[in-house]
Amino acid sequence: MAKEMIAMLLAGGQGSRLYALTEKLAKPAVPFGGKYRIIDFPLSNCVNSGIDTVGILTQYQPLVLNEYIGNGQPWDLDRLYGGVHVLPPYQKASGSDWYKGTANAIYQNISFIERYDPQYVIILSGDQICKQDYSDFLKFHKEKNAEFSVAVMEVPWEEASRFGLMVADEDDKITEFQEKPKNPKSNLASMGIYIFNWDILKKYLEEDEADPNSENDFGNNIIPNLLKDSRRMYAYHFDGYWKDVGTISSLWEANMEILDPEHSGINLFDEDWKIYSRNSGMTGHKISAGAVVENSMITDGCRVKGEVKHSILFAGVRVEEGAVVEDAVIMGGTVIKSGAVVKHCIVAENVTIGENAVVGAMPTEEENGVATIGEGVTIGDNAKVGPKAMVRKNVEGGEVEC
Amino acid sequence: MLNSNTSALGIVFPNSYDALVPDLVNVRLMASIPFASRYRLIDFILSSMAHCDIDNIAVMVNNNYHSLMDHLGSGREWDLVRKNGGLHIFPPFVEKGVKPYVGRVGAVASILGFLRSQKEKYVVMTDTNIVVNFDFNAMIKAHIESGADVTVAYNEQELPESMMKNEDNGLAYYYTLNIEDGRITQIHVNSKKTGIQNMSMNMFVLERELLIDLINTASVRGQVYFERDVLLPQLSKLNIQAYKYDGYVARICDMKSYFEENMKLLDDHNLDALFSSQQIYTKIRDDNPTRYIEGAKVQNVMVADGCVIEGEVEDSILFRGVKVAKGAKVKNCILMQDAVIEAGADIEYLIMDKNVTVSAGKSMKGTDTFPVYIGKHQTV
Repeated sequence: MAKEMIAMLLAGGQGSRLYALTEKLAKPAVPFGGKYRIIDFPLSNCVNSGIDTVGILTQYQPLVLNEYIGNGQPWDLDRLYGGVHVLPPYQKASGSDWYKGTANAIYQNISFIERYDPQYVIILSGDQICKQDYSDFLKFHKEKNAEFSVAVMEVPWEEASRFGLMVADEDDKITEFQEKPKNPKSNLASMGIYIFNWDILKKYLEEDEADPNSENDFGNNIIPNLLKDSRRMYAYHFDGYWKDVGTISSLWEANMEILDPEHSGINLFDEDWKIYSRNSGMTGHKISAGAVVENSMITDGCRVKGEVKHSILFAGVRVEEGAVVEDAVIMGGTVIKSGAVVKHCIVAENVTIGENAVVGAMPTEEENGVATIGEGVTIGDNAKVGPKAMVRKNVEGGEVEC
Repeated sequence: MLNSNTSALGIVFPNSYDALVPDLVNVRLMASIPFASRYRLIDFILSSMAHCDIDNIAVMVNNNYHSLMDHLGSGREWDLVRKNGGLHIFPPFVEKGVKPYVGRVGAVASILGFLRSQKEKYVVMTDTNIVVNFDFNAMIKAHIESGADVTVAYNEQELPESMMKNEDNGLAYYYTLNIEDGRITQIHVNSKKTGIQNMSMNMFVLERELLIDLINTASVRGQVYFERDVLLPQLSKLNIQAYKYDGYVARICDMKSYFEENMKLLDDHNLDALFSSQQIYTKIRDDNPTRYIEGAKVQNVMVADGCVIEGEVEDSILFRGVKVAKGAKVKNCILMQDAVIEAGADIEYLIMDKNVTVSAGKSMKGTDTFPVYIGKHQTV
């Protein structure tokens, strides 16, 4: 039986701009929002949109991601026909290779896609925080009788030159594509989410593969080739919350924005559009007498005895007496010992922050930055980590790291 | 544990002691009573069994079991979806003119065919009104080493007052044990003794073949209660050993103990004692993390995911999806799933069942000796 549309989720990115957070895991596996990982958003969007077949293209550090996805049950993607499949590059009789580019990753999995004989394929990216109804996108694609559609966001004109831009006419037909241009002709930024008619996608993937000069990339090769051939290409306007969390500061910002759903537009308290995740299974969190918790999000297994303000604590975080956490993202299993002061920073999983240590600082005019502590690091008692620091190794007691 | 001659199957009695908490079991049974912010009582037994590789489990539901069926589903959350074994829910098989069974004997008698066709050498039987993170393998090992015919788990504690009051109610028998060198020499039914007693936890290990044999005989004789009618008369004939359990035990024997056993978990020592050894699994609801809004004041609380707290909460247990609005005050309360405390409401010593709403500005108070219970879907 044919599937109308299946999803291919690009999750191979190293996320090198997240530095310490992606040393041991791929960007889509980076924890987000208290109990999620980034990939929960596109996966939940798929399920909520009625897409039950998702191929996840992995390459960089896939262990955590593979284990996390498992059989796909938390997203209701454990299906007899379809469901979620992790697709790493594999050895073939001839021409085995790593995924050379986003288009090549899909090209190498043509046989996976053909098993489902889909009419449409949606290409998703594993590094965005966004709640989006892909079925509405498909409806648009069909209404326009398009061969290719791309989801676009209007961005402020002054920032437009940071994005890949789609120039479209009043019927939303795309006439030109500009990749990070100096002189933008449009402020419609590509979200990197595409719907293709499968026959078109397959044709262009095969042609692209045959071109030895191609970078095998959607933005640089496939889309320009489609334009050159005057294919029916349309821009689908999306005006909800969307954030590319490719940098430490954008990841920190997106986390802080979920603390303020009334203004930021990203609401995780949405019964009609739940974001699913693999649960920690820990018991309810505890807030002791004497603790202060304000404007924060806290999940299962946390124990709070100190002060937590405007922060996000992931499962099993402990904040001991007298410790202060403010404007911070503290990932699962981390312990913040008594008297430590942790501000305006991202602390990865299973970190220990010693007594009276200081990590990060509220931004000032002279110095601002989001201090970042990598997974499993120990910050010694009385140590100090400056707001610009990116810590991957243990910091001994009393030392200063800037 | 690989397949071996120490493997056991589980039999769980989810309706035992329902009569002790009539309010809470109005819409459910003992096993599905919510506990400790995100669990149901049966989660503790099923998780303990799952951790001991007891993955062939019969749940002998008798009545009011819709909520339990909903909670258990296929058994996936406890890793009990198995081709061989897994979770079996046995509702009573009612024939024309025959009432459903009352005690353990009738329950087990109704599945003798099932028991005969299983392969496990041992059977573990237990109730669900007892909250433990229990190592069944240790008990099975003790059973094998002692050469016992039957092993009964017990703990040392004072007899709960509420149980002693309930004597006439045939559904709430409790048992204390005389023990000599590990062997049970006397079983007292509904003892009135004060002070620390060896109180049966109603957990049993015995060989499957022996259980079939004992139940077959008892059933033919029209006997009802396993402890009173089967074990007690055969104390000299069978080698019945006692297995002392020193771990954390919470017994639910009335509304007061339900309230207190929940509240005890606000003490980290108790919480760690119950939860630190093995993870307790439960049905996942996919709630978002709990949100504390500006102005929230919380002290000494245990809170599950999915809550939104804007008011003041003190010394309380909040289950999933509870909303406490601005200016509301919650003290010494157990608020089950999706309770809504509207702005300015003031509540103390309440046990609120699922989906209860306290309207804006309303005040309602129980006392420490008599927490007030509010039924499911009520609006105060």
